[in-house]
Amino acid sequence: MIEDKETYLDIIQNGNLVGVSPTQMLLHGPTKRLLDKYHWHSPNKGIVASYSPTDRDVEDHFNVFRGVDQVEAFAQASVVSCATFLECRKLNCTPAELKDLFIPAFISIGSVNFHNYLELGDTFISIGNITFYKWRQMVCDGRVYKVPKDLDLDVYFSDFTEERLLKYDISKDFTLVAELFGITGRAIKIELFKKTE
Amino acid sequence: MERQEILDGLIEVLRTIRTIDPDRLVGVTEETDFLTDLSTPSTELINIAAKVENKFDIEFDDDDIDHMGSKVKDVIDLIIMVKARGEKE
Repeated sequence: MIEDKETYLDIIQNGNLVGVSPTQMLLHGPTKRLLDKYHWHSPNKGIVASYSPTDRDVEDHFNVFRGVDQVEAFAQASVVSCATFLECRKLNCTPAELKDLFIPAFISIGSVNFHNYLELGDTFISIGNITFYKWRQMVCDGRVYKVPKDLDLDVYFSDFTEERLLKYDISKDFTLVAELFGITGRAIKIELFKKTE
Repeated sequence: MERQEILDGLIEVLRTIRTIDPDRLVGVTEETDFLTDLSTPSTELINIAAKVENKFDIEFDDDDIDHMGSKVKDVIDLIIMVKARGEKE
């Protein structure tokens, strides 16, 4: 956890999300957070992040992680994390301060193709590629892969590159679970959001 | 720049938007609503705004887009306002 604001602002201005806890980036509570760790991040290009479904995630669903939750997990890893990071960089503030100004809204899904499924005990990565970012709206395409057992993701992605991101150039030991297109989020000003209530 | 000239330019932009049926662009007026009359997905308004920036050589702020309405006249008003703002700077 990053304890002081100055260190966090330095990371936001000059660094990336690797080493930052998702609990300090995603502001909703733990029961809705489907993201454990960031492994690679290039602020204007994309991200790789992982999650291991919990008992609660698969409860009443055959021990299988739901497809709709895969989409949510991908969105949290990609558009929510990446757009929050860039907006904090623009305003030179922390996510906690951004919370007083904007509501992060999931506004559109282009399409999703599922190829496989995820069970309790699996770990998966979301690889998100930023295809559009302007006016606080971000669009990402990407893929979800099941991670080979016992792989150290931090080590594996330590030399990952933007070129490899665009080609989904990872080991064949990862299992493709889903392809996602046009996942779109927008930070909406709180006063405008409340107008629609 | 006259409003009709802007409307003509805007229609040119709309012809390049994949999700808008070109047949619906016949008879577009300032009162035409992107969402209800042209069945444009709301997320497409951002793409339209990006293309409008290029077409009219202007730059929208975040706040401009926050307050942009869904009618053709709203976009024309915004283009005029942003052009005027650019001339002042």
